[in-house]
Amino acid sequence: MISFEHVTKRYGERLALDDVTWRMEEGECAVIHGHSAAGKTTLLRLITHETQPTSGVVTVGTFRGGRLSRSHRALLRRTIGVIYEDFRLLPDRTVYENVALSLYIAGQHLEADLHPKVRRALHEVGLEAHRDLLPAELSYGERQRCAIARAIVNRPALILADEPTGALEPKSAAEVLSLLLRIHREGAALLLGTTRAEVANVIGGRRYVLEDGRLRDAAVAAPAGAAAGGA
Amino acid sequence: MFLYFWREAWRSFRAHRGLAVTSVLSLTAALTLCGIFVLFDHNARQALNAIGDRREMIVYLKDDISDVQLSTLTDKVKLYFGEPTYVSRQQAWTELSEQLGDPALLSGVEDNPLPASLRVRLKPELLNFTAMEQAAKQVLEFPEVEDVRYGAEYVRRLDEFSAGMRATAWAAGGVVALAIVLMLFNTLRLTLLARRHQVEVMLRMGASDRFIAMPYVLEGLMHTGLAAVASLLLVFALQQGLTTRLAGLTFLPWTWSLSFVLLALGVAWVASTAALNRILRTIGS
Repeated sequence: MISFEHVTKRYGERLALDDVTWRMEEGECAVIHGHSAAGKTTLLRLITHETQPTSGVVTVGTFRGGRLSRSHRALLRRTIGVIYEDFRLLPDRTVYENVALSLYIAGQHLEADLHPKVRRALHEVGLEAHRDLLPAELSYGERQRCAIARAIVNRPALILADEPTGALEPKSAAEVLSLLLRIHREGAALLLGTTRAEVANVIGGRRYVLEDGRLRDAAVAAPAGAAAGGA
Repeated sequence: MFLYFWREAWRSFRAHRGLAVTSVLSLTAALTLCGIFVLFDHNARQALNAIGDRREMIVYLKDDISDVQLSTLTDKVKLYFGEPTYVSRQQAWTELSEQLGDPALLSGVEDNPLPASLRVRLKPELLNFTAMEQAAKQVLEFPEVEDVRYGAEYVRRLDEFSAGMRATAWAAGGVVALAIVLMLFNTLRLTLLARRHQVEVMLRMGASDRFIAMPYVLEGLMHTGLAAVASLLLVFALQQGLTTRLAGLTFLPWTWSLSFVLLALGVAWVASTAALNRILRTIGS
């Protein structure tokens, strides 16, 4: 599903990724753990083609390497659900509209098709009652759940989460992680980047450590939630 | 699909009311200026057409032509050049006498020196200097014809004036089109920069340039459509105000008004699309 072949990324003099070779299969769950500025976000941005590798080849599904045209980049991004630390919700749209935006972008404009999908996504993240609220009227945890609903409403095969609990207090963080695990168990591949070891422990799956631009395979672990009965 | 785009356009219009009002007012000013030129061009054309209607060619006939020759010539002139009216020598003399007003002035002239003629009301496609000159040469080659007159200098000047008016109207239209392009470019750039965060989020979600641009293109069309209607109302007010001083000044026919609005919208569509393509490429990848 995703493969990096000898990928190096430099920002001027600074080396963000150093000769990374790595694969992730369909339906897999992986956590990339590393300190701040270790290159996690760069790795995720390479997958979404928001940036280009200095050298090496990144392949995502059928989109292989090189500089994609704007229309191909858009097409690629529609197949991925991305969750950001700062939510990136549109402030002047309601929860419902934020989630529906993913469907509009994917070319689904009929209310009859769109409405049940948005309702289902909001139901999955427990935000049905807040559908008419603006993001500013939600707690941080609710905003992240809204962002998750937006990421999953199209049923993408791959979910990327860049420090999804970074701005959340522990209870909301646990809810969000539990939600992500549930989505993964329903079949979506999940790739999560985090600075927190406890988050990596909760998510489980294949664990990588990113240090000084180098990616190291740490271990395959069962999610903590699997033993404890939830995150 | 379009409903979504229109909803977004309206949302953006409301969210940036100040910018929208400024844009509509600026466009109204530019379009009103253009509308005034169009109004005067329309009235000038009407006046020129009225004068053009009086353009005619006078074909002087030889004294010795027979009725059969006259009939043949009349048919040929009618077929190729326009509607002929026969003026006999006697009629020409009577008309001259009436024009002079005082019969005593012609009392010294013993024989009528005036030739018979055909006054030809030319076909519309011949009502310009080049075509008239060509027609005159052709008519002159008929053996029954003595001479041809059509007021060459007068016709040439009339044509030059008409072409000048048209060129001025086009130049004004060009300047206004450029003004629309610049105004819309800046308005859309400011609107998009104000919503840069949202545009970036949409790009990351996989929105195509067309998806992002369409509401702003529609917003540009809304600004221009409102401005075009407002400018027509202002031009109408001006025409009403001037009617008392310039008799015969008429407002644009509805086909011209509709064309004016559609042309403005067409320019706005092209300008908005081009501007957004350019702006989106500077905002995000």
